[in-house]
Amino acid sequence: MTDGPLIVQSDKTLLLEVDHPDAGACRMAIAPFAELERSPEHVHTYRLTPLGLWNARAAGHDAESVVDALLRFSRYPVPHALLVDVAETMDRYGRLQLANHPTHGLVLQASDRAVLIEVAKSKKLAGMLGAKVDADTVAVHPSERGRLKQALLKLGWPAEDLAGYVDGEAHPISLTEDGWSLRSYQREAVDSFWAGGSGVVVLPCGAGKTMVGAGAMAEAKATTLILVTNTVAGHQWKRELLARTSLTEDEIGEYSGERKEIRPVTIATYQVLTSRRGGAFTHLDLFSARDWGLVIYDEVHLLPAPIFRFTADLQARRRLGLTATLVREDGREGDVFSLIGPKRYDAPWKDIEAQGWIAPADCTEVRVTLTEEERMAYATAEPEERYRMAATARTKLPVVKAIVDKHAGDQVLVIGAYIDQLHQLSEYLDAPVVQGATTTKERERLFDAFRAGELSTLVISRVGNFSIDLPEAAVAIQVSGTYGSRQEEAQRLGRVLRPKADGRQAHFYTVVARDTIDTEYAAHRQRFLAEQGYAYSIVDADDVLSA
Amino acid sequence: MAVTLADHLRALPDEELAALIALRPDLVMPVPGDISALAVRAQSRLSVARSLDALDRFTLEVLDAVRVTRDPQTATTSVEAVLLLTGEGGVDKTRVREALGRLRELAIIYGSDATLHLSDGVDDVCSPYPSGLGRPADELSPAAAALVSDAARLRRTLLAAPPAARAVLDRLAAGPPIGTANRAVLNDPDSDSPVRWLVTRHLLVPTGGDTVELPREISLLLRRETGPLGELHPTPPEVDAPVREISAADRAGAGQAMEAVRNAEALAEALAADPAPILRSGGLGVRELRRLARAIGLTEPDAALLLEVAYAAGLLGESGGETGDAVVLPAAGYDTWRIGTLAQRWTRLAQAWLLMTRMPSLVGQRDDRERLLPALSNDVERVGAPAQRRAILGVLADLPPGTAPTPDDLRSVLAWRAPRRMGRAAASAGYDAALSEAATLGFTGLGALTSYARWLLAEVDAADRADPDADPLGIGPDEPPSRALEALDALLPAPVDHVLVQTDLTVVVPGPPEPGLAGELALVADAESPSVYRVTPDSVRRALDSGYVAADLHALFQRRSRTPVPQALTYLVDDVSRRHGGLRVGSAGAYLRGDDEALLAEVLADRRLAMLSLRRLAPTVLISPYAPARLLAALREAGYSPVPEDATGAAVLSRPRSPRAPARPAAPSRRIEDPRNQPRLTPARLAGIVEQLRRGDAATRAARRAPTTVRSQPGSAGLAGAQAHAQAMAVLQQALRDKARVWVGYVDAHGATNSRLVRPVSMGAGYLRAEDERTEMLHTFALHRITAAVPEESPSP
Repeated sequence: MTDGPLIVQSDKTLLLEVDHPDAGACRMAIAPFAELERSPEHVHTYRLTPLGLWNARAAGHDAESVVDALLRFSRYPVPHALLVDVAETMDRYGRLQLANHPTHGLVLQASDRAVLIEVAKSKKLAGMLGAKVDADTVAVHPSERGRLKQALLKLGWPAEDLAGYVDGEAHPISLTEDGWSLRSYQREAVDSFWAGGSGVVVLPCGAGKTMVGAGAMAEAKATTLILVTNTVAGHQWKRELLARTSLTEDEIGEYSGERKEIRPVTIATYQVLTSRRGGAFTHLDLFSARDWGLVIYDEVHLLPAPIFRFTADLQARRRLGLTATLVREDGREGDVFSLIGPKRYDAPWKDIEAQGWIAPADCTEVRVTLTEEERMAYATAEPEERYRMAATARTKLPVVKAIVDKHAGDQVLVIGAYIDQLHQLSEYLDAPVVQGATTTKERERLFDAFRAGELSTLVISRVGNFSIDLPEAAVAIQVSGTYGSRQEEAQRLGRVLRPKADGRQAHFYTVVARDTIDTEYAAHRQRFLAEQGYAYSIVDADDVLSA
Repeated sequence: MAVTLADHLRALPDEELAALIALRPDLVMPVPGDISALAVRAQSRLSVARSLDALDRFTLEVLDAVRVTRDPQTATTSVEAVLLLTGEGGVDKTRVREALGRLRELAIIYGSDATLHLSDGVDDVCSPYPSGLGRPADELSPAAAALVSDAARLRRTLLAAPPAARAVLDRLAAGPPIGTANRAVLNDPDSDSPVRWLVTRHLLVPTGGDTVELPREISLLLRRETGPLGELHPTPPEVDAPVREISAADRAGAGQAMEAVRNAEALAEALAADPAPILRSGGLGVRELRRLARAIGLTEPDAALLLEVAYAAGLLGESGGETGDAVVLPAAGYDTWRIGTLAQRWTRLAQAWLLMTRMPSLVGQRDDRERLLPALSNDVERVGAPAQRRAILGVLADLPPGTAPTPDDLRSVLAWRAPRRMGRAAASAGYDAALSEAATLGFTGLGALTSYARWLLAEVDAADRADPDADPLGIGPDEPPSRALEALDALLPAPVDHVLVQTDLTVVVPGPPEPGLAGELALVADAESPSVYRVTPDSVRRALDSGYVAADLHALFQRRSRTPVPQALTYLVDDVSRRHGGLRVGSAGAYLRGDDEALLAEVLADRRLAMLSLRRLAPTVLISPYAPARLLAALREAGYSPVPEDATGAAVLSRPRSPRAPARPAAPSRRIEDPRNQPRLTPARLAGIVEQLRRGDAATRAARRAPTTVRSQPGSAGLAGAQAHAQAMAVLQQALRDKARVWVGYVDAHGATNSRLVRPVSMGAGYLRAEDERTEMLHTFALHRITAAVPEESPSP
């Protein structure tokens, strides 16, 4: 019996003991095919999923290497059935291939005739396949390339897309690496993406995903469509691109609710693309407005369903997805795989943090004891009001103030979900509020002031969850949230993870009301932090106030 | 001279006779009266078939050679002749002699080398075409006999055969020598069918029906290449399979074995939590199986296998259950099994599987009546299953260690070892199932037999061979330690007694937990996957409910955890324990409350009220286990002035009332006219009664007058049946027109003769519909059942 660091369980999870001397080597060996599910301090959990195994296949790993890695690092005998299952699953990828036939155009080729016959009979593929070219090849209507891949994935026979891409309209783009350069992992991410053609790069918040996008554009040297979550994020992309690439102001267009510019590089928001007039999507022309050579999807895990549908028609263009997590709360990971592409690069948060690219964070849960009055109000509140009652308790205000005071001199973000509470906080802390109703111009002004250090404290609502780059924020205090959303927790943590100029420690505080549903939700969110390897500590509000 | 088997047996020395009986124990069950009876039994179809079933392919081929070389007159042959014939097939003589030796041992053949006799039953249970050869030509047809006797002509005829005909000949020559041909084609002179060509030239002989047979001589001539007996198979087929590193196979198998044990335990736990009801027809229903499979995360066939094995191993049992319906749940043996080591537990399951006469692969399939076969039902009982398992694993065990053959390979070896058994498709499915079950249970790893399974098979075999009478009292030396157990033990992880506790409140057990740890974990945490548990508020509360206090839990985690206990866990335990018991629930018969604390204290202290067992819940509340009425009475007795209150807390005040019985109807106020108090009948009712009486009377009288023709006795003289029927129809037609009543005699569904007075309503489609006025019902008579019909008024004879 070897004494490896890995425990392979029959439910297809892998437990990696991180303190084991071989843990590093083991992580390297299993990372290509196993999804890191959680990484608390001692034992990391990876999961073998069909998608993960197919991602590995797409990256050129074969079943033998996977089985070998499992056997080499496993501490205990690995169940035979699991090995068989891994081999069989991996073997399914690539039995079918989409390719360009010299005379018939796009075709579906099979290395296993029985599989082709099986899928051709499926009702899900009705109308997608054309005439038979020969016994192992069927013509495919080019317009069905995306939908065919989706359907095949659902049938468990994911197709390898070798049909290639159109080059798109050429446009000179290069990185202007004066005094800076792509970080090593960013360079690796760009290279893996480019070698694979299309796919998703997974990097934590603050690890410089924008730069991976810029790197990909410099490789493509073609007109690029960038899809982002909202206008502010769009502005950020623009700013980065102007600073880091040869692109000029005139070459970058903004396509949003406010402006409709189509330029060689166009940044569009999901919102404008999915807005409808009279039931029809009115801005679809954007996709065909130019001969795009590259489409970049920011925050793939938030990609709205209609965009998937448009993406199905864009299969001949190179697509780059950027995200911090492949986990989608709606479970559409399969669509990301089949329509955007397999995962091309992935780096665990903690590793990047250890390399110093994102700030280490110290997470603290501050428990506030409600006053007798508040407790009674909470106890008798309607169930749907309870969370709001607990989360917005006034008792939290002095605690927040104490924390802000404790970090005097640091840039502090106070994050909440309830507008009334935000206004109370704003008054109490004498700090401005950024919320949904704040105009983009005002937001920009406040953010600029914050970045410049003219403003040390900012109270922000849910708008702060996404893609705002406030690199100098070193302290985040969340007072209320959207129930127990793990995604929100990740995004909020991401606010303070940007590396600080002086390498200071980042602080992430959660103020919760003790013995209420607020604590339960906080526990749910913090489980996510713990699973990401952020140990958090619990302190009592009295300790904060008296400190 | 002819020697009978009885003579031969009689002449055998005692030890040889005993050896024969040892080989064929069915001969002496029950012990026959004498040697003649023994010989008769030894030649019975059943006994001979049983002996032949165990023989390998080559021995059967030699037996065919014996049959082929028999002299038609004396029905004997000689070793020499058999050797000569098999020698032409290029087979080593010693092998043939060995095969003959085996047949002799079984008394399938007997006699001297020069005059070998064949036991009588053999021809009955073997193919009529030994070695795939047809009958000799002179038994088939004179024309064919003439042809084969003229060698030159035969050769010419064969050479002249067109290719299609030659192909037919070759196929029949390879055996079996029988083919079917369309008779129409055979008789059609214009047909150019190859079979017809062959038949007309007497190379094939029609043998009735649409079969044709190839005469033996022609087969032999055509078999020049392969030898007269066709291809012989003196050795089992070679298995050309990949060879795994034995340690890798062992590890893969051990992993699977560990899984099997863990899943069996999970299955038992699932059944303990929620026992599965047994179907009225026996076994567990599909839905139950699906539920269990989902609960332990297995496929249904695997769950069925484990269910059957665990049941066979005595881990599961049946019980009346709470509602009186039978259920399946863990048996008492489960608890002793559970505390064994992994290897011991596996060995128990493995032995149960080897010996169980059940075929789990049948579960979920449909029988001939399209009925699903349920698990644990009698429908999946197959007595041959253990033998099949042992046979296929035996083949695997005889291969060099590490060989990973395909099921086809194994089946081809089995087909050589016992071709008569492998013949059936159902049997072959059984072998495949046995192989896949062996893989699931961890007998094999990476397709090769594991070393511990090899030991286990050897041990089971040894136990089988052991003389049960050697140590009847079981006082002999202890059994040697099981090598299988040791080998498996060395492969499996040692149980661990520690855990890793993490900030996300997961508890990781880095290996199989030892029983003590497993018990603690089951209480304080919820299992998330085999090695990962999670501490939740619910699990902490469960631990507190079962008697732990917060300090115990802290100590427990402190003791078991190799890593520092995270603050979050400490907080969780403290939080839950702080709230634990914050609310208390109890029962009381009545409460006593009042604003005056002193008064309540007085009541509590009052000795006269001690029998009320009052208890103080709060300064202003006392409770008693007795009912409010008793409390009231006792308090009033003692001089207090309590007031009862209702559910809303309002006082219930009542004036004393004299006791009264429930209200009852008062006596009628109006005097009844008739002093004798007879019921009075209204005129309408009277009229009705009279009409009813009249109709009943008429019917009774009519019934008495039922004409004898209608009350026909079977076999009685009268009109001939057909004629009577025609007449009855005419009567009925008339009655239908007249709307008259008719006596109808008919045979009812039980064959009894009945008659009924009815008024026909309609007749058609083979049925008479008629109304019986007495019962006011509409009757339908099948016309063919009506034997007679007589108008009502017709005079009775």
